[in-house]
Amino acid sequence: MIDSYLIEKMFNNAPFLDEMATDQGKIYPHWERLAKYYDQIGRERMGQFHEEVGRQLRENGVTYNVYGDPNGMNRPWILDPVPMVFSSDEWEGIEKGLVQRTNLLNLVLSDLYGDQSLIKEGLIPFELVYNHKGFLRQAHNIKLDGDQQLIQYSSDLARGPDGKMWVLHDRTDAPSGAGYTFENRAAMTRVFPELIRENHVRKITSYYQTFKNTLSNLTTNNKENPRIALLSPGPTNETFFEHAYISSFMGFTLAFGEDLTVSDGYVWLKTIKGLEKVDVLIRRVDDVFCDPLEFRSDSHLGVVGLMEAVRQKKVLVINPLGSRVLENPGLMAFLPKLCRHLLGEDLEIPSVATWWCGQPLELSYVFENIESLVIRNIYRGTNNKSVFGGSLSKAELDLLKREIRRNPYLFVGQEMVEFSTTPAWINNSLEARNAVFRSYVVADSENKDYKVMPGGLSRSSPEKGAFLVSNQTGGISKDTWVLGKPKEAGALPVKAISIQPLVRNVLPSRTGERLFWLGRYLERSAYTVRLMRMALLSYNEADEDIHIQENPVLNTLLQTLTAVTGTFPGFSEKSILKNPEPELIALVRDVEKSGSLAYSIQSFLGNAYAVRDRLSLDTWRILDSISEELNKMRLSVTTIQQAYHSLDSMIVKLMAFYGLNIDNMTREPTWHLLNIGRFIESAVNNCTILRGMLSKSFDQESNKELMEDTLRCNESLVTYRYRYRSNLEMNGVLSLLMLHEDNPRALIYQLLEIDQHLRTLPNDGDGELFGAERKKLLEAITKIRLCDIDRLAEAEPATREFLALTAFLDEIVDLLHETSDVVYEKYFSHTGSSYRMMRTAVIPEI
Amino acid sequence: MRYRVIHVTKYIYEVPAMLCHNLMFQIPQDLPFQAVEDYTCEISPKPSFEADRSDFFGNRYRYFSVERMHKMLTVTSKSTLELVAPAWESADPKATMHWELVVEWLHSTAASSEIRQFYLESHHVQFIDGIREYALKSFLPGRPIMEAMLDLNTRIFKDFAFTPGFTDISTPLEKVFEHKKGVCQDFAHFSLACLRSLGLSARYVSGYIETFPPPGKPKLVGSDASHAWIALYIPGLEWVEFDATNNLLVGDKHIRVAVGRDFSDVTPLKGIVFAGKEQEMKVSVDVQALDEEEVDS
Repeated sequence: MIDSYLIEKMFNNAPFLDEMATDQGKIYPHWERLAKYYDQIGRERMGQFHEEVGRQLRENGVTYNVYGDPNGMNRPWILDPVPMVFSSDEWEGIEKGLVQRTNLLNLVLSDLYGDQSLIKEGLIPFELVYNHKGFLRQAHNIKLDGDQQLIQYSSDLARGPDGKMWVLHDRTDAPSGAGYTFENRAAMTRVFPELIRENHVRKITSYYQTFKNTLSNLTTNNKENPRIALLSPGPTNETFFEHAYISSFMGFTLAFGEDLTVSDGYVWLKTIKGLEKVDVLIRRVDDVFCDPLEFRSDSHLGVVGLMEAVRQKKVLVINPLGSRVLENPGLMAFLPKLCRHLLGEDLEIPSVATWWCGQPLELSYVFENIESLVIRNIYRGTNNKSVFGGSLSKAELDLLKREIRRNPYLFVGQEMVEFSTTPAWINNSLEARNAVFRSYVVADSENKDYKVMPGGLSRSSPEKGAFLVSNQTGGISKDTWVLGKPKEAGALPVKAISIQPLVRNVLPSRTGERLFWLGRYLERSAYTVRLMRMALLSYNEADEDIHIQENPVLNTLLQTLTAVTGTFPGFSEKSILKNPEPELIALVRDVEKSGSLAYSIQSFLGNAYAVRDRLSLDTWRILDSISEELNKMRLSVTTIQQAYHSLDSMIVKLMAFYGLNIDNMTREPTWHLLNIGRFIESAVNNCTILRGMLSKSFDQESNKELMEDTLRCNESLVTYRYRYRSNLEMNGVLSLLMLHEDNPRALIYQLLEIDQHLRTLPNDGDGELFGAERKKLLEAITKIRLCDIDRLAEAEPATREFLALTAFLDEIVDLLHETSDVVYEKYFSHTGSSYRMMRTAVIPEI
Repeated sequence: MRYRVIHVTKYIYEVPAMLCHNLMFQIPQDLPFQAVEDYTCEISPKPSFEADRSDFFGNRYRYFSVERMHKMLTVTSKSTLELVAPAWESADPKATMHWELVVEWLHSTAASSEIRQFYLESHHVQFIDGIREYALKSFLPGRPIMEAMLDLNTRIFKDFAFTPGFTDISTPLEKVFEHKKGVCQDFAHFSLACLRSLGLSARYVSGYIETFPPPGKPKLVGSDASHAWIALYIPGLEWVEFDATNNLLVGDKHIRVAVGRDFSDVTPLKGIVFAGKEQEMKVSVDVQALDEEEVDS
């Protein structure tokens, strides 16, 4: 395996250096063990290990999202089983260089938002800063306590043709990827435990310990037990998986902009218990989206008034708003001089050669060499893509030059780096691919120092010879191994970690609302599946010559199906009833059809993903398998037979979700809200099915079948037989499904469950024994307990309709809806979903 | 001249709003040719939280939030000020520096960032096609900067028609240039774009000006408006103000409130509100010159 890699490399005469071997094909010492290992295990086992790595990640639910791609949500994260490797000697240099660069950038940041002496002295051109959209004038003179303003720093590095590591990009606003680094390492550790041990691969966990200590150190409010929230743009963000992962791993509260509000100058989390103060906000939302009042007024991802809270030091925002000014490739041209000026040292890690067009000499250099340079805007944005001059036509080049001439300060030319290749596992063999390494640095405020994660996220290009590597364009991730010296292992003094701040269980109202709907869609899906199976069976058995309208059982089942799914007119339409198959199939697979099974499951999954930080790892696995099943259902169900099979596998997976959560979830508000949703939905569906199935009396045989199906839908047929040991009787069926407090399928049981869960929720203590929601529920419970079942089981002699039953069930459903409304109002109302955030009209000056 | 200014802004909500956060740039400051005798601000309903701050450009502003249901928000700013004739009124425009030399000086570190920042593009002030050419017709080679500026001011006044309602704050400068119509802030933005495209530093000034009714008609209460003009940096004279809307070199009749790169830096009142439905907004401004008797009484 290794030989063919080396031969390929030498004979292809690739212009790139390689991480594993010299140009002459000699393997570097730090790669020797790995090379030997790959040769030993051979292609086949390596292929198996590759699959195993993928499986580990899938099972841990590691995903990322691709923007603008309808199938881009929750894509599996791809990890190459071959790591990026650094020798301990080289790493020492990289580590030192990264600490130096972070220190340097930190000083620059402090200066730019302070007295700007670097601009006054001409060390940083004024236009480079004032023209950069990351320079936030609102953040001027706002400082964190102490000298460290830059708390998290990341950079992308690659090995240039001179064999040195070069910095390609600095990331200072809200660097991403550290969470994936942890997942990558976890998967690799499971699959290659000996390899990791033998190579003394350094552990990366200290990164987050340092981060947490620093946060505690920096907090000025509530030092003992700071509430830390991670502000995420939400489930559609590229790296949302990581936001949820880091939150649960670190004990942060995962929050979206809508979960937070500024009041009295403080930032508050809207929870089901009311507002809770937030002391630290780790931000994964880009700077100008963080506060629509002071920055982009069209942002719905931020918190209105956040900047003012920062100004008052009532909340700590990490990284501080304004840090993005350092994400400026133009700055790279000035770093060597700045480093000597500020630190009295030479810059250890060079940046990729950069010419800032804001200076006449550099501008003319860029124009003369434009075809061999990458042209980038100093501000990274979706509209500002980097272009390689060599790939442009004459006309495009002229256009670009015109654009640069109009505003030269906004552009840099950068050398096209031919960075090194590293072995990658592609199409079942080792191939050389260009790779980029992202490093992670965090402030260690206790020691007034910076700590570098010994590892990081490497990415390699899927294509040969491709330079631009990112996950959005399809890069493959790699674990990064920093090899330790054997004697070092364990030699480091083990520092006591400060006691983990107690994580108080708070539930943001939005999360509460999602859990409530999660429960509701779960039950809606389950009831839909069970009823649909009855309907499909009955349809298959039906005599084709008899019109459905003449078939009371099938007709009733279909009508009830329309009622339970809320897809009117559905089967109440004669033309649809004549040819019911398309409607039946659409009810199974059509995600666009509101009320269909696919729609309910999709909604169930959507709510689950939005609260994924609250669900266990095993739950994620089940969710992923439900999601897979849903995809299969959407794509492959075209016949009644297939629909039936699909329902069978789906119900099993849904049941797995039930089982897991009943066993595993701690009995806290999360659990209670999920169950309130579940039982409200069960009770409503129970009523709808009874009302639909038992609305009319037909011939004896049909009545019996309908009662049987009703019991089956509620999984109570066996119970009935066991209890009554008699023929099916209407009052027996009703009594089992409505009155038996020990039957989990009985209405009364479901209502009592709702009440049990409701009473655990925090009450605002309005002095009354029961809150409004419990009063409504109690009314329903009492009505059921007092009902006259024989009277309900009696059909009107003239019409043969069960009018008393229908009217009674309607009353109960109304009370359930009212209960649900009150719960909503009481616990989720400050999600403000009925309020729109808008900009106030601005008066023109005339 | 002494003036009293009353500036009332009202937001009326169809369905009560539950929360709003606002930034208010309506606090005039003591300046070389302007003394503030008195300033008060009333906000109704009473804000839950308020704080006075200074921004990057040295303006004072107020942040406030109203954190309860309200059907209407009213902000009333009242100020009494005294203005004196600015020094630049007596300057000889022909004796000012050649504009190219000013550009050269601005682009060196000899000039401070506080001044230099106003030659860059900004949100409302973009270097649209043809704007530099338009400006160069006044800024002829070797011409003294103030003389050229007065010429530009007059050309804009003549070329553009004051047309309320044709533009709003989101109207792009291209459209203003194409149709040559707009209101004071459009003319100010246009002037700024002309000057900055040449490399000169010029900033937006927001404030008030007294207006006069047509001859024989009484002046209506609330008929004045907030106004906008520009200030150009001229070495030796510093920030010299010009009003293209009225073809004026600003004297002692322009009451200054705030300066910035453009309107978006100094919007008199802006906010984010959580409301159910539409909002209606009303503004009234009264600028009253106080004569001697009134001062005595």
